[in-house]
Amino acid sequence: MRVARNCENGVRLRYLPLLIVVLILVVCAPGNAQPKPTPSPGPAEAQAIPSTVLRLRADRIEFYYDRYLVEAYGHVRLQTSNGMTITGDTFSMDLRLNRFLVASHVHLRSRGGNLDGAAIADLLDFDRIYFVPVITKPDRWTYENEDFTRPLRGRQMPGDVFYFPNLSHTSISLSATSAVIGSERFVRFAGVRAYFSHHAVPLGTYYVSFAARPELSENSLSGANFDATWNMTGNANSISALHVRYDAYNHGYLGFEQHLAGNGPHEYAVFSISPFTTYDKYWNLVTGEHIGSKFEIDTFQQLYTNQWWLKEPTASALTTYVTMTRGFNRSGLQAQLNQTNYNLLGTTVASPNHPNWGQLTWTSAANQAFKSPLYFQTRFGYGFSHDAYGLQYYGGVTYTTIWNEVVGFTVELPNIKIGDRDKAYALYYINAAIDSARTWNTVPHRVNEQNSSVSLSRQFSRFVNSYLSYNVLNISDLYLQGGYGGSAPLVDGTPYTPFESFRGAASLRTAILSTTYSASTNLVTSINFTHHDDFPAAYPGLFSVPPTNAIGQYTYANYLGQPPWQLTGEVRARLLPHLTLDVQRTYFFHFGDQIWSPSFVVQLSG
Amino acid sequence: MTKLRTRLGAVFCALILLAAAAPVTIEGQLLAYQDGFVFFTTGDGFRVAPNIVILDAQTQQRAKRPPEARDYARAVFNDSGQVVELDLSTEPYPVEPLPDAAQAFAVTASSPYPNPELAGPPRTTSNGVAETFSGKLVLVKFQVQVPPTTPITAQVYIATDVSGWNPNAIEMDRIDALHFVAIRRMASGTVLHYLYTRGSLQTEEVAANGLSVRPRELIVNDSDTNSTNSVVAAWKDANANNILMQPSVFPTPYNPAPFPNLPTGTKTPHP
Repeated sequence: MRVARNCENGVRLRYLPLLIVVLILVVCAPGNAQPKPTPSPGPAEAQAIPSTVLRLRADRIEFYYDRYLVEAYGHVRLQTSNGMTITGDTFSMDLRLNRFLVASHVHLRSRGGNLDGAAIADLLDFDRIYFVPVITKPDRWTYENEDFTRPLRGRQMPGDVFYFPNLSHTSISLSATSAVIGSERFVRFAGVRAYFSHHAVPLGTYYVSFAARPELSENSLSGANFDATWNMTGNANSISALHVRYDAYNHGYLGFEQHLAGNGPHEYAVFSISPFTTYDKYWNLVTGEHIGSKFEIDTFQQLYTNQWWLKEPTASALTTYVTMTRGFNRSGLQAQLNQTNYNLLGTTVASPNHPNWGQLTWTSAANQAFKSPLYFQTRFGYGFSHDAYGLQYYGGVTYTTIWNEVVGFTVELPNIKIGDRDKAYALYYINAAIDSARTWNTVPHRVNEQNSSVSLSRQFSRFVNSYLSYNVLNISDLYLQGGYGGSAPLVDGTPYTPFESFRGAASLRTAILSTTYSASTNLVTSINFTHHDDFPAAYPGLFSVPPTNAIGQYTYANYLGQPPWQLTGEVRARLLPHLTLDVQRTYFFHFGDQIWSPSFVVQLSG
Repeated sequence: MTKLRTRLGAVFCALILLAAAAPVTIEGQLLAYQDGFVFFTTGDGFRVAPNIVILDAQTQQRAKRPPEARDYARAVFNDSGQVVELDLSTEPYPVEPLPDAAQAFAVTASSPYPNPELAGPPRTTSNGVAETFSGKLVLVKFQVQVPPTTPITAQVYIATDVSGWNPNAIEMDRIDALHFVAIRRMASGTVLHYLYTRGSLQTEEVAANGLSVRPRELIVNDSDTNSTNSVVAAWKDANANNILMQPSVFPTPYNPAPFPNLPTGTKTPHP
């Protein structure tokens, strides 16, 4: 057996002139930006550490999660990081509006001295403090920019600064005895009792993040059927969370996740271990870093161990992904690298392979084609895969390194209106897109992929919308010599002969007719009829389903083996502001021997 | 006829006298009850008469506890502007600005003067609607155009700061090959930060040049319907040959073929 590290340079170089021509065309093409009703937001800018931290104690503190309200009653004591200490009978804060109020028998201690009053309200976003002192008579004082020595006496105040929220249509989520509030970022409670259907469960501490930046919410856990998260503690830059989870493989188990985030954009690190209470453990680390204004680096590492608690593992593997992105004005260059070690312990049982791959991709933004309604996008890629133990055996050669070149383009025709433009509910919309990519490999084969879709849609009324779409995905894996040979895999011991004509080219055609009825903002129903006409034809159990991602979606969008006829009905109801019930029932028709095969999905998300 | 005129005149005079004698009252929510004053959430404080009567508004019996902040109450004034009766209610009263008649009774040590920050007409939106934020619930429509490489079977969600950036917090409905829609009811004045995702933060939207984006911002105003019409330039997990790289799937042995789920028993490519 011969081992080739690289070959078929001729295949790659043959297309180099074509690459150059396309590149020149793209560079010379008019770079009109695609008209965007709302421009895509730019890179995040650095954010200051929260200017105000509030430390609150009271006989009883209540938190209303659906409205982000913190209400406190009895012996309220509030210390602020800008030097105020306030006591009073009651406290109210709207975390989203970033303002608080202390009322009744208020005592204010500040740089301006000690004062008694009826109420004090602080609008943190505006640096305005409104105070009703009671010296001999009530008065109205306004402090500007935290200057407690020079109150503006008698100045008119906004009409609602001392309003309490109406709590009659909301229910308490948890109660506590103390809280630390980082304005616009987080709240951390102590002495917590959480309420589930009016039943109190003691939790000790609980942390809620409501930052406008998602960095602290990046997660590193894989999917589960059920996940209840207890954010035990945290601050403006970290969260420690315990997860109670369930999935079909591990059943019930615990996981732990530690989030860290910097104050700059795209600065975060997330570490997790899950499941923690089973033999199979996954230790994940996700990081992100923004370097300069146009460069980002993201990493993902996953260490697998088979061990009981923290005893010596019997198996261990590690995979690492690194993604580096350099942004330009109208395009981006991205490098992706992966290294996997399947056997860190050197045991003879596990595979000794440690493959790696890398890909460099340049992608343009969507550009308008000469003032036409068409938009196009191009991309080029160059990469490799390597495994010293061999990636592919072909033509008597075991390839340990396979190089590839990718050229692709996308053309889209968005939102062409047909009909009377004065009647919104009589208009038809046509949307179409074609995406094509070709990959040349140093193993002498190329992969073509063309994905075309067109849809016709109409909004019939405020409540009803329908669309008809047709999608064709052609994938062909073509070898210069030979390729896929005819075979008839066994199904229940019987050869499945329709598969014999498969020679490496698959065609997946999908037609969808869908109607959505939005009865209200809290209730949406839809019915979806899908027909797959695929080659190779699907058969139940013949094709394995692709792996799923964190929320159970298939990682390959179009895959072989989908049932030819599907009818799906879905009802989605929002039971509470943070709780949605999704009931979905799908029927498969004429799928192999299955005439009528219902599949039922109930999903609760919050 | 004369008698009728006389009677009507008498009734009219009686009505005027009754109206003149009707005490001034206000309703609202209490901010504080202390130091001989009662304060409403308008921020106004009123002097309390020494012989004030505190009643339960529902039973009209003496209240069993003193007034507290957050109580709803109706205050009855005497001619000198002191509160002589306070009716505490468990039913919410509308919280509104004070009537002029009661405004004169509010006690302040300093003379009020206008606040220049509160002057001026409200700003208007691009379609000429006054950009006011009353807190009323209004419809908010999110419509997004996704990249053409988005799988036809994909689901699109909105992650928001209100939901702790849960990446599948708001599920959107596909309305054609390239567009998704979600409609929510939100209070005007809500400042919402959000991102479009395909269900996880590994599949969130990125800028056209591949860099991460700062969250979009929506300030909900008092218009009956607020609409956002956005374009997702690219997804974070997109790559050149459309094979979606998912780091959460492990282990992922390298497979050079584009058919990851061919049935077992299929012959591998050969010359």
